[in-house]
Amino acid sequence: MGAPHIVIGGGLSGLAAAIRLARFGEPVVIIEQHNRLGGLNSYYTRNGRLYETGLHAISNFAPRKQRHAPLNKLLKQLQLSRDDLSICEQLRSEIHFPGTEPLLFSNDFSLLRDTIDDVFPHALAGFDRLVQRLDHHDPFAPAPFTATREILSSFLNDQQLIEMLLCPLLFYGSSWQDDIDFNQFTILFRAIYQDGFFRPAGTIKDLLDLLTETLIERGATIITGTGVEHLRVVDDRVESVILENGEELDCNIVISTIGSDETRRLAGKNIDKTDIVRLSFFESIFTVDSTGKTAVSKDATCIFFCRQNRLRYRKPNTPVDLKSGVISLPDNFSGREAGTMRDVRITHLANYQQWFDARAASASSYDDLKAAYARKSARVAEAYVGSFFEAITYQDSFTPLTVQRYTGKIEGAVYGSPNKHTDGACGFANMFLAGTDQGYLGIIGAMLSGVLMVNRHILPKLAK
Amino acid sequence: MTRAEIRDLIIEIIKDIDDEAQFDDVSPDEPLRDQLDLDSMDFLDIVMELRKRHKLQIPEEDYPQLATLNSCVNYLEPLLHNA
Repeated sequence: MGAPHIVIGGGLSGLAAAIRLARFGEPVVIIEQHNRLGGLNSYYTRNGRLYETGLHAISNFAPRKQRHAPLNKLLKQLQLSRDDLSICEQLRSEIHFPGTEPLLFSNDFSLLRDTIDDVFPHALAGFDRLVQRLDHHDPFAPAPFTATREILSSFLNDQQLIEMLLCPLLFYGSSWQDDIDFNQFTILFRAIYQDGFFRPAGTIKDLLDLLTETLIERGATIITGTGVEHLRVVDDRVESVILENGEELDCNIVISTIGSDETRRLAGKNIDKTDIVRLSFFESIFTVDSTGKTAVSKDATCIFFCRQNRLRYRKPNTPVDLKSGVISLPDNFSGREAGTMRDVRITHLANYQQWFDARAASASSYDDLKAAYARKSARVAEAYVGSFFEAITYQDSFTPLTVQRYTGKIEGAVYGSPNKHTDGACGFANMFLAGTDQGYLGIIGAMLSGVLMVNRHILPKLAK
Repeated sequence: MTRAEIRDLIIEIIKDIDDEAQFDDVSPDEPLRDQLDLDSMDFLDIVMELRKRHKLQIPEEDYPQLATLNSCVNYLEPLLHNA
Protein backbone atom coordinates (compact mmCIF):
# COMPACT_ATOMS: atom_id res chain seq x y z
CA MET A 1 0.00 0.00 0.00
CA GLY A 2 1.25 3.51 -0.83
CA ALA A 3 1.83 6.44 1.48
CA PRO A 4 -1.15 7.38 3.66
CA HIS A 5 -3.31 10.45 3.35
CA ILE A 6 -2.55 12.84 6.16
CA VAL A 7 -5.06 14.96 8.01
CA ILE A 8 -3.52 17.85 9.94
CA GLY A 9 -5.61 18.78 12.96
CA GLY A 10 -7.76 16.55 15.17
CA GLY A 11 -10.71 18.92 15.47
CA LEU A 12 -14.14 17.97 14.22
CA SER A 13 -13.46 18.71 10.54
CA GLY A 14 -10.25 16.66 10.62
CA LEU A 15 -11.91 13.76 12.43
CA ALA A 16 -14.74 13.71 9.89
CA ALA A 17 -12.29 13.81 6.95
CA ALA A 18 -10.28 10.94 8.41
CA ILE A 19 -13.38 8.82 9.13
CA ARG A 20 -14.60 9.36 5.58
CA LEU A 21 -11.26 8.20 4.14
CA ALA A 22 -10.98 5.23 6.47
CA ARG A 23 -14.49 4.14 5.56
CA PHE A 24 -13.25 3.14 2.12
CA GLY A 25 -10.15 1.43 3.40
CA GLU A 26 -7.81 4.29 2.56
CA PRO A 27 -4.73 4.47 4.79
CA VAL A 28 -4.98 7.67 6.79
CA VAL A 29 -3.02 9.32 9.58
CA ILE A 30 -4.54 12.14 11.61
CA ILE A 31 -2.21 14.42 13.55
CA GLU A 32 -3.25 16.49 16.57
CA GLN A 33 -0.70 18.65 18.37
CA HIS A 34 -2.44 18.29 21.72
CA ASN A 35 -2.87 15.19 23.80
CA ARG A 36 -6.60 15.39 23.38
CA LEU A 37 -8.65 15.53 20.18
CA GLY A 38 -11.40 18.04 19.50
CA GLY A 39 -9.63 21.29 18.60
CA LEU A 40 -11.99 24.17 19.33
CA ASN A 41 -14.52 21.71 20.74
CA SER A 42 -12.73 19.78 23.41
CA TYR A 43 -12.90 19.48 27.19
CA TYR A 44 -10.93 19.45 30.41
CA THR A 45 -11.65 18.36 33.97
CA ARG A 46 -11.46 20.36 37.19
CA ASN A 47 -12.57 19.19 40.62
CA GLY A 48 -13.91 15.97 39.12
CA ARG A 49 -16.20 17.88 36.79
CA LEU A 50 -15.90 17.89 33.00
CA TYR A 51 -15.86 21.30 31.34
CA GLU A 52 -16.45 21.68 27.63
CA THR A 53 -14.46 24.21 25.65
CA GLY A 54 -16.09 25.87 22.68
CA LEU A 55 -19.43 24.11 22.57
CA HIS A 56 -22.46 26.27 23.36
CA ALA A 57 -25.04 24.61 21.18
CA ILE A 58 -24.83 22.71 17.91
CA SER A 59 -26.77 24.37 15.10
CA ASN A 60 -28.35 22.55 12.12
CA PHE A 61 -30.79 20.51 14.17
CA ALA A 62 -32.99 18.35 11.89
CA PRO A 63 -35.61 15.74 12.60
CA ARG A 64 -34.77 12.21 11.49
CA LYS A 65 -37.16 12.28 8.53
CA GLN A 66 -35.45 15.19 6.78
CA ARG A 67 -33.11 12.95 4.83
CA HIS A 68 -31.19 15.68 3.04
CA ALA A 69 -30.70 17.96 6.03
CA PRO A 70 -27.01 18.58 6.79
CA LEU A 71 -27.11 16.65 10.07
CA ASN A 72 -28.61 13.50 8.54
CA LYS A 73 -26.47 13.77 5.43
CA LEU A 74 -23.36 13.97 7.57
CA LEU A 75 -24.28 10.91 9.63
CA LYS A 76 -24.94 8.93 6.46
CA GLN A 77 -21.65 9.95 4.87
CA LEU A 78 -19.76 8.89 7.99
CA GLN A 79 -21.95 5.79 8.50
CA LEU A 80 -22.73 6.83 12.05
CA SER A 81 -26.00 6.09 13.77
CA ARG A 82 -28.14 9.03 14.81
CA ASP A 83 -29.07 7.14 17.97
CA ASP A 84 -25.44 7.27 19.11
CA LEU A 85 -25.66 11.06 19.35
CA SER A 86 -28.42 11.11 22.00
CA ILE A 87 -29.72 14.44 20.77
CA CYS A 88 -31.22 16.96 23.19
CA GLU A 89 -32.99 19.93 21.60
CA GLN A 90 -32.80 23.48 22.91
CA LEU A 91 -35.64 24.86 25.03
CA ARG A 92 -35.61 28.31 23.45
CA SER A 93 -33.17 31.13 22.86
CA GLU A 94 -33.47 34.87 23.29
CA ILE A 95 -32.17 38.06 21.66
CA HIS A 96 -32.10 41.11 23.93
CA PHE A 97 -31.60 44.72 22.80
CA PRO A 98 -32.31 47.88 24.79
CA GLY A 99 -35.77 49.45 24.81
CA THR A 100 -37.60 46.57 23.17
CA GLU A 101 -39.04 43.20 24.09
CA PRO A 102 -36.70 40.27 23.40
CA LEU A 103 -37.06 38.14 20.27
CA LEU A 104 -37.40 34.42 20.95
CA PHE A 105 -36.53 31.47 18.75
CA SER A 106 -36.53 27.71 19.09
CA ASN A 107 -36.36 24.67 16.83
CA ASP A 108 -39.88 25.59 15.74
CA PHE A 109 -39.39 28.49 13.31
CA SER A 110 -42.86 29.87 14.00
CA LEU A 111 -41.73 31.08 17.44
CA LEU A 112 -39.36 33.60 15.85
CA ARG A 113 -42.02 34.72 13.40
CA ASP A 114 -44.62 35.07 16.17
CA THR A 115 -42.37 37.20 18.36
CA ILE A 116 -41.50 39.41 15.38
CA ASP A 117 -45.23 39.79 14.85
CA ASP A 118 -45.56 40.87 18.51
CA VAL A 119 -42.54 43.16 18.74
CA PHE A 120 -42.20 44.48 15.17
CA PRO A 121 -45.66 43.95 13.59
CA HIS A 122 -44.92 46.57 10.90
CA ALA A 123 -41.93 44.50 9.70
CA LEU A 124 -43.59 41.08 9.52
CA ALA A 125 -44.52 41.21 5.84
CA GLY A 126 -40.95 42.18 4.97
CA PHE A 127 -39.61 39.39 7.16
CA ASP A 128 -41.78 36.86 5.32
CA ARG A 129 -40.46 38.13 1.99
CA LEU A 130 -36.90 37.86 3.29
CA VAL A 131 -37.47 34.23 4.31
CA GLN A 132 -38.88 33.52 0.85
CA ARG A 133 -35.84 35.07 -0.76
CA LEU A 134 -33.53 33.00 1.46
CA ASP A 135 -35.43 29.80 0.70
CA HIS A 136 -34.76 30.35 -3.00
CA HIS A 137 -31.14 31.39 -2.62
CA ASP A 138 -28.38 28.83 -3.26
CA PRO A 139 -25.66 29.84 -0.78
CA PHE A 140 -23.19 27.31 -2.19
CA ALA A 141 -23.05 28.85 -5.65
CA PRO A 142 -19.76 30.76 -5.95
CA ALA A 143 -20.31 34.52 -5.66
CA PRO A 144 -18.24 37.58 -4.74
CA PHE A 145 -18.69 39.02 -1.23
CA THR A 146 -22.16 40.54 -1.02
CA ALA A 147 -22.94 42.72 2.00
CA THR A 148 -25.91 41.43 3.97
CA ARG A 149 -26.92 44.61 5.80
CA GLU A 150 -27.80 46.31 2.53
CA ILE A 151 -29.99 43.41 1.45
CA LEU A 152 -31.68 43.25 4.86
CA SER A 153 -32.51 46.97 4.67
CA SER A 154 -34.40 46.35 1.43
CA PHE A 155 -36.68 43.83 3.19
CA LEU A 156 -36.92 45.05 6.78
CA ASN A 157 -38.13 48.58 7.54
CA ASP A 158 -36.83 48.51 11.10
CA GLN A 159 -33.14 48.93 11.91
CA GLN A 160 -33.56 47.47 15.39
CA LEU A 161 -34.94 44.23 13.96
CA ILE A 162 -32.02 44.00 11.53
CA GLU A 163 -29.54 44.39 14.39
CA MET A 164 -31.35 41.82 16.50
CA LEU A 165 -31.55 39.23 13.73
CA LEU A 166 -27.87 39.67 12.89
CA CYS A 167 -26.66 39.35 16.48
CA PRO A 168 -26.81 35.53 16.92
CA LEU A 169 -25.62 34.88 13.37
CA LEU A 170 -22.55 37.08 13.72
CA PHE A 171 -21.64 35.74 17.15
CA TYR A 172 -22.06 32.13 16.04
CA GLY A 173 -20.20 32.26 12.80
CA SER A 174 -18.86 35.49 11.37
CA SER A 175 -15.17 36.08 10.83
CA TRP A 176 -16.05 39.45 9.25
CA GLN A 177 -16.47 42.64 11.22
CA ASP A 178 -19.96 44.18 11.43
CA ASP A 179 -21.33 42.65 8.26
CA ILE A 180 -21.40 39.19 6.77
CA ASP A 181 -21.35 37.75 3.28
CA PHE A 182 -24.88 37.04 2.06
CA ASN A 183 -24.10 33.40 1.30
CA GLN A 184 -22.76 32.91 4.81
CA PHE A 185 -25.78 34.76 6.19
CA THR A 186 -28.12 32.42 4.34
CA ILE A 187 -26.32 29.34 5.64
CA LEU A 188 -26.33 30.65 9.21
CA PHE A 189 -29.97 31.81 9.03
CA ARG A 190 -30.96 28.26 8.11
CA ALA A 191 -28.62 26.60 10.58
CA ILE A 192 -29.66 28.75 13.55
CA TYR A 193 -33.20 30.06 12.98
CA GLN A 194 -34.78 27.56 10.59
CA ASP A 195 -33.05 24.41 11.91
CA GLY A 196 -32.12 25.33 15.48
CA PHE A 197 -29.92 24.10 18.31
CA PHE A 198 -29.22 20.78 19.97
CA ARG A 199 -26.43 19.15 21.93
CA PRO A 200 -25.48 15.67 23.12
CA ALA A 201 -27.22 14.51 26.31
CA GLY A 202 -23.82 13.93 27.86
CA THR A 203 -20.81 15.99 26.88
CA ILE A 204 -18.69 16.72 23.83
CA LYS A 205 -16.44 13.92 25.10
CA ASP A 206 -19.12 11.39 24.08
CA LEU A 207 -19.04 12.65 20.49
CA LEU A 208 -15.23 12.75 20.42
CA ASP A 209 -15.06 9.22 21.87
CA LEU A 210 -17.52 7.97 19.25
CA LEU A 211 -15.48 9.50 16.43
CA THR A 212 -12.21 8.18 17.87
CA GLU A 213 -13.58 4.64 18.22
CA THR A 214 -14.90 4.78 14.67
CA LEU A 215 -11.48 5.84 13.39
CA ILE A 216 -9.70 3.06 15.25
CA GLU A 217 -12.23 0.45 14.10
CA ARG A 218 -11.64 1.51 10.51
CA GLY A 219 -7.90 1.24 10.83
CA ALA A 220 -6.85 4.89 10.89
CA THR A 221 -3.72 5.98 12.74
CA ILE A 222 -4.17 8.73 15.32
CA ILE A 223 -1.13 10.70 16.43
CA THR A 224 -1.61 13.05 19.37
CA GLY A 225 0.73 15.11 21.47
CA THR A 226 2.98 16.21 18.62
CA GLY A 227 2.18 18.81 16.00
CA VAL A 228 3.46 19.28 12.48
CA GLU A 229 6.81 21.05 12.54
CA HIS A 230 6.91 21.72 8.82
CA LEU A 231 5.92 20.40 5.44
CA ARG A 232 8.60 19.37 2.96
CA VAL A 233 7.49 20.90 -0.31
CA VAL A 234 8.97 20.30 -3.76
CA ASP A 235 7.50 22.59 -6.41
CA ASP A 236 3.81 22.63 -5.51
CA ARG A 237 3.70 19.18 -3.92
CA VAL A 238 3.88 18.26 -0.27
CA GLU A 239 6.37 15.38 -0.26
CA SER A 240 6.38 14.64 3.45
CA VAL A 241 5.19 15.88 6.81
CA ILE A 242 7.79 16.42 9.54
CA LEU A 243 6.46 16.21 13.08
CA GLU A 244 7.66 18.14 16.12
CA ASN A 245 9.03 14.89 17.54
CA GLY A 246 11.31 14.59 14.50
CA GLU A 247 9.40 11.83 12.75
CA GLU A 248 8.97 12.23 8.99
CA LEU A 249 5.83 10.85 7.32
CA ASP A 250 5.50 10.32 3.60
CA CYS A 251 2.13 11.44 2.36
CA ASN A 252 -0.31 10.96 -0.45
CA ILE A 253 -2.88 13.75 -0.18
CA VAL A 254 -2.94 16.17 2.77
CA ILE A 255 -6.07 17.72 4.25
CA SER A 256 -5.17 20.64 6.49
CA THR A 257 -7.74 21.91 8.97
CA ILE A 258 -5.51 24.33 10.84
CA GLY A 259 -6.29 27.43 8.78
CA SER A 260 -5.03 28.80 5.51
CA ASP A 261 -2.23 31.07 6.73
CA GLU A 262 -1.33 28.57 9.44
CA THR A 263 -0.91 25.93 6.71
CA ARG A 264 1.13 28.17 4.43
CA ARG A 265 3.45 28.91 7.36
CA LEU A 266 4.14 25.20 7.82
CA ALA A 267 5.01 25.01 4.13
CA GLY A 268 7.49 27.86 4.54
CA LYS A 269 5.40 30.32 2.53
CA ASN A 270 5.02 33.97 3.37
CA ILE A 271 1.72 35.24 4.67
CA ASP A 272 0.91 38.32 2.65
CA LYS A 273 -2.11 39.92 4.26
CA THR A 274 -1.03 40.68 7.79
CA ASP A 275 -3.45 43.62 7.96
CA ILE A 276 -6.58 41.49 8.04
CA VAL A 277 -8.60 41.71 11.24
CA ARG A 278 -9.11 38.42 13.05
CA LEU A 279 -11.93 38.33 15.58
CA SER A 280 -11.44 36.64 18.87
CA PHE A 281 -13.40 36.17 22.06
CA PHE A 282 -13.19 36.16 25.83
CA GLU A 283 -15.24 33.48 27.52
CA SER A 284 -15.90 32.77 31.17
CA ILE A 285 -17.48 29.68 32.70
CA PHE A 286 -19.17 29.95 36.06
CA THR A 287 -20.39 26.96 38.02
CA VAL A 288 -23.22 28.05 40.24
CA ASP A 289 -24.70 26.31 43.27
CA SER A 290 -28.38 26.53 42.44
CA THR A 291 -29.61 25.38 45.86
CA GLY A 292 -29.09 28.83 47.34
CA LYS A 293 -30.69 32.15 46.52
CA THR A 294 -29.99 32.17 42.83
CA ALA A 295 -32.35 32.60 39.95
CA VAL A 296 -30.50 31.38 36.89
CA SER A 297 -32.97 31.02 34.03
CA LYS A 298 -34.31 27.51 33.52
CA ASP A 299 -35.99 28.41 30.22
CA ALA A 300 -33.34 29.91 27.98
CA THR A 301 -30.70 27.89 26.16
CA CYS A 302 -28.73 30.75 24.60
CA ILE A 303 -29.15 34.44 25.27
CA PHE A 304 -27.71 36.91 22.79
CA PHE A 305 -27.55 40.46 24.03
CA CYS A 306 -26.47 43.91 23.03
CA ARG A 307 -26.55 46.88 25.41
CA GLN A 308 -26.65 49.51 22.67
CA ASN A 309 -29.07 49.94 19.79
CA ARG A 310 -26.54 49.25 17.08
CA LEU A 311 -24.54 46.03 17.32
CA ARG A 312 -20.80 46.63 17.07
CA TYR A 313 -19.47 43.25 16.05
CA ARG A 314 -15.83 44.19 15.64
CA LYS A 315 -12.49 44.01 17.38
CA PRO A 316 -12.86 46.25 20.45
CA ASN A 317 -10.34 48.86 21.62
CA THR A 318 -10.51 47.37 25.10
CA PRO A 319 -9.46 43.84 26.16
CA VAL A 320 -13.12 42.78 26.22
CA ASP A 321 -16.24 44.38 24.75
CA LEU A 322 -18.88 44.05 27.47
CA LYS A 323 -21.52 45.84 25.39
CA SER A 324 -22.60 42.65 23.70
CA GLY A 325 -22.24 38.93 24.09
CA VAL A 326 -23.73 35.46 24.28
CA ILE A 327 -24.74 33.59 27.39
CA SER A 328 -24.92 29.82 27.10
CA LEU A 329 -26.84 27.73 29.63
CA PRO A 330 -25.86 24.14 28.78
CA ASP A 331 -28.27 22.66 31.33
CA ASN A 332 -31.27 24.14 29.54
CA PHE A 333 -31.77 21.55 26.82
CA SER A 334 -34.76 19.27 26.69
CA GLY A 335 -33.98 15.92 28.29
CA ARG A 336 -30.87 17.12 30.12
CA GLU A 337 -31.03 16.87 33.86
CA ALA A 338 -29.44 19.74 35.69
CA GLY A 339 -27.92 18.83 39.02
CA THR A 340 -27.61 21.30 41.85
CA MET A 341 -24.58 22.75 40.07
CA ARG A 342 -25.41 24.70 36.94
CA ASP A 343 -23.05 26.23 34.42
CA VAL A 344 -23.28 29.72 32.97
CA ARG A 345 -20.94 30.55 30.08
CA ILE A 346 -20.53 34.07 28.79
CA THR A 347 -18.72 35.10 25.62
CA HIS A 348 -17.70 38.57 24.43
CA LEU A 349 -15.60 39.95 21.62
CA ALA A 350 -12.01 40.56 22.70
CA ASN A 351 -8.81 42.23 21.58
CA TYR A 352 -5.93 39.78 21.14
CA GLN A 353 -3.17 42.41 21.25
CA GLN A 354 -4.28 43.82 24.59
CA TRP A 355 -4.25 40.38 26.17
CA PHE A 356 -0.88 39.72 24.56
CA ASP A 357 0.50 42.95 26.03
CA ALA A 358 -0.90 42.18 29.49
CA ARG A 359 0.75 38.79 29.40
CA ALA A 360 4.04 40.30 28.19
CA ALA A 361 3.96 42.77 31.11
CA SER A 362 3.61 40.06 33.77
CA ALA A 363 1.75 36.87 34.59
CA SER A 364 -0.02 38.60 37.45
CA SER A 365 -1.26 41.55 35.38
CA TYR A 366 -2.71 39.05 32.89
CA ASP A 367 -4.37 37.04 35.67
CA ASP A 368 -5.72 40.20 37.31
CA LEU A 369 -7.17 41.40 34.02
CA LYS A 370 -8.81 38.01 33.49
CA ALA A 371 -10.36 38.03 36.96
CA ALA A 372 -11.56 41.61 36.59
CA TYR A 373 -13.26 40.97 33.25
CA ALA A 374 -14.79 37.71 34.44
CA ARG A 375 -16.35 39.62 37.34
CA LYS A 376 -17.65 42.40 35.10
CA SER A 377 -18.95 39.86 32.59
CA ALA A 378 -20.90 38.00 35.28
CA ARG A 379 -22.46 41.25 36.49
CA VAL A 380 -23.51 42.15 32.94
CA ALA A 381 -25.01 38.70 32.38
CA GLU A 382 -27.07 38.78 35.57
CA ALA A 383 -29.40 41.31 33.94
CA TYR A 384 -30.38 38.59 31.44
CA VAL A 385 -30.13 35.26 33.29
CA GLY A 386 -30.93 36.24 36.85
CA SER A 387 -28.56 36.73 39.77
CA PHE A 388 -25.88 34.13 40.41
CA PHE A 389 -22.75 36.04 41.40
CA GLU A 390 -22.97 35.15 45.11
CA ALA A 391 -23.42 31.44 44.34
CA ILE A 392 -20.39 30.94 42.08
CA THR A 393 -18.40 27.90 43.22
CA TYR A 394 -15.90 27.71 40.36
CA GLN A 395 -14.89 29.96 37.52
CA ASP A 396 -12.47 29.95 34.65
CA SER A 397 -11.86 32.24 31.68
CA PHE A 398 -10.37 31.81 28.23
CA THR A 399 -8.70 34.74 26.51
CA PRO A 400 -7.63 34.95 22.86
CA LEU A 401 -4.22 33.74 24.06
CA THR A 402 -5.79 30.62 25.56
CA VAL A 403 -7.55 29.87 22.29
CA GLN A 404 -4.37 30.43 20.31
CA ARG A 405 -2.40 28.15 22.60
CA TYR A 406 -4.87 25.27 22.44
CA THR A 407 -6.07 25.52 18.85
CA GLY A 408 -3.15 27.10 17.00
CA LYS A 409 -5.50 29.65 15.42
CA ILE A 410 -3.60 32.87 14.72
CA GLU A 411 -4.64 35.48 17.32
CA GLY A 412 -7.08 32.94 18.74
CA ALA A 413 -9.54 33.69 15.93
CA VAL A 414 -12.10 30.92 16.41
CA TYR A 415 -13.82 31.56 13.07
CA GLY A 416 -10.49 31.88 11.29
CA SER A 417 -9.50 34.32 8.63
CA PRO A 418 -12.19 36.48 6.98
CA ASN A 419 -10.86 35.17 3.66
CA LYS A 420 -12.43 31.79 2.97
CA HIS A 421 -11.41 29.16 0.40
CA THR A 422 -14.67 27.41 -0.35
CA ASP A 423 -13.09 25.09 -2.94
CA GLY A 424 -10.44 24.01 -0.43
CA ALA A 425 -7.59 25.02 -2.74
CA CYS A 426 -4.56 26.51 -1.01
CA GLY A 427 -1.93 26.56 -3.74
CA PHE A 428 -0.63 22.98 -3.54
CA ALA A 429 -1.25 20.09 -5.93
CA ASN A 430 -1.87 17.56 -3.16
CA MET A 431 -2.98 19.61 -0.16
CA PHE A 432 -6.44 21.02 0.51
CA LEU A 433 -8.10 22.97 3.29
CA ALA A 434 -11.06 21.84 5.36
CA GLY A 435 -12.67 23.29 8.45
CA THR A 436 -12.72 26.89 9.57
CA ASP A 437 -10.96 28.55 6.65
CA GLN A 438 -12.77 26.47 4.04
CA GLY A 439 -15.84 28.34 5.21
CA TYR A 440 -18.41 25.94 6.67
CA LEU A 441 -18.89 26.81 10.30
CA GLY A 442 -20.39 25.25 13.38
CA ILE A 443 -19.85 21.66 14.44
CA ILE A 444 -22.02 20.13 11.72
CA GLY A 445 -20.64 22.56 9.13
CA ALA A 446 -17.05 21.83 10.10
CA MET A 447 -17.61 18.08 9.89
CA LEU A 448 -19.38 18.40 6.54
CA SER A 449 -16.44 20.47 5.36
CA GLY A 450 -14.10 17.57 6.14
CA VAL A 451 -16.40 15.14 4.31
CA LEU A 452 -16.93 17.36 1.26
CA MET A 453 -13.26 18.14 0.76
CA VAL A 454 -12.44 14.41 0.85
CA ASN A 455 -15.32 13.72 -1.56
CA ARG A 456 -14.12 16.41 -3.89
CA HIS A 457 -10.35 16.20 -3.83
CA ILE A 458 -9.46 12.64 -2.86
CA LEU A 459 -12.09 9.97 -3.49
CA PRO A 460 -12.78 10.55 -7.21
CA LYS A 461 -9.03 10.58 -7.94
CA LEU A 462 -8.04 7.37 -6.23
CA ALA A 463 -6.29 4.81 -8.36
CA LYS A 464 -7.27 1.14 -8.24
CA MET B 1 -20.64 -12.44 -11.97
CA THR B 2 -23.98 -13.00 -13.60
CA ARG B 3 -26.31 -10.11 -14.32
CA ALA B 4 -28.51 -11.16 -11.42
CA GLU B 5 -25.53 -11.22 -9.07
CA ILE B 6 -24.44 -7.75 -10.19
CA ARG B 7 -27.95 -6.49 -9.62
CA ASP B 8 -27.93 -7.94 -6.10
CA LEU B 9 -24.53 -6.40 -5.47
CA ILE B 10 -25.82 -2.94 -6.38
CA ILE B 11 -28.87 -3.37 -4.17
CA GLU B 12 -26.72 -4.57 -1.29
CA ILE B 13 -24.38 -1.57 -1.64
CA ILE B 14 -27.26 0.91 -1.75
CA LYS B 15 -28.86 -0.71 1.30
CA ASP B 16 -25.56 -0.35 3.14
CA ILE B 17 -25.49 3.34 2.27
CA ASP B 18 -29.13 3.90 3.13
CA ASP B 19 -30.82 1.32 5.33
CA GLU B 20 -34.23 2.80 4.53
CA ALA B 21 -33.94 2.19 0.78
CA GLN B 22 -36.93 0.17 -0.49
CA PHE B 23 -36.36 -1.81 -3.67
CA ASP B 24 -39.80 -3.48 -3.93
CA ASP B 25 -41.18 -0.91 -6.34
CA VAL B 26 -37.98 0.13 -8.05
CA SER B 27 -38.28 0.09 -11.80
CA PRO B 28 -34.99 -1.11 -13.38
CA ASP B 29 -35.06 1.46 -16.18
CA GLU B 30 -36.01 4.54 -14.17
CA PRO B 31 -33.31 6.68 -12.50
CA LEU B 32 -32.33 5.41 -9.05
CA ARG B 33 -31.78 9.02 -8.00
CA ASP B 34 -35.49 9.86 -8.21
CA GLN B 35 -36.87 6.52 -7.04
CA LEU B 36 -34.66 6.19 -3.98
CA ASP B 37 -34.10 9.88 -3.29
CA LEU B 38 -30.32 9.56 -3.78
CA ASP B 39 -27.97 12.45 -4.43
CA SER B 40 -24.49 12.85 -5.88
CA MET B 41 -22.90 12.07 -2.50
CA ASP B 42 -24.71 8.73 -2.48
CA PHE B 43 -23.52 7.92 -6.00
CA LEU B 44 -19.95 8.65 -4.94
CA ASP B 45 -20.47 6.13 -2.13
CA ILE B 46 -21.64 3.49 -4.64
CA VAL B 47 -18.53 4.06 -6.76
CA MET B 48 -16.26 3.90 -3.72
CA GLU B 49 -17.87 0.71 -2.44
CA LEU B 50 -17.36 -0.93 -5.85
CA ARG B 51 -13.73 0.10 -5.71
CA LYS B 52 -13.33 -1.24 -2.17
CA ARG B 53 -15.08 -4.55 -2.83
CA HIS B 54 -14.03 -5.35 -6.38
CA LYS B 55 -11.03 -3.09 -7.08
CA LEU B 56 -13.05 -1.36 -9.79
CA GLN B 57 -11.87 1.98 -11.03
CA ILE B 58 -14.78 4.00 -12.36
CA PRO B 59 -13.75 7.34 -13.87
CA GLU B 60 -15.88 10.37 -13.05
CA GLU B 61 -17.08 10.71 -16.64
CA ASP B 62 -18.68 7.25 -16.38
CA TYR B 63 -20.79 8.05 -13.29
CA PRO B 64 -23.87 8.81 -15.46
CA GLN B 65 -23.81 5.18 -16.61
CA LEU B 66 -24.83 4.19 -13.08
CA ALA B 67 -28.13 6.06 -13.35
CA THR B 68 -30.56 3.11 -13.40
CA LEU B 69 -30.38 -0.43 -12.06
CA ASN B 70 -30.19 -1.83 -15.61
CA SER B 71 -27.58 0.66 -16.77
CA CYS B 72 -25.48 -0.26 -13.72
CA VAL B 73 -25.66 -3.94 -14.69
CA ASN B 74 -24.85 -3.17 -18.34
CA TYR B 75 -21.88 -1.05 -17.38
CA LEU B 76 -20.50 -3.43 -14.74
CA GLU B 77 -21.08 -6.72 -16.56
CA PRO B 78 -17.87 -6.64 -18.66
CA LEU B 79 -15.90 -5.27 -15.71
CA LEU B 80 -17.02 -8.02 -13.35
CA HIS B 81 -17.20 -11.01 -15.68
CA ASN B 82 -14.24 -12.66 -13.94
CA ALA B 83 -15.34 -11.71 -10.45
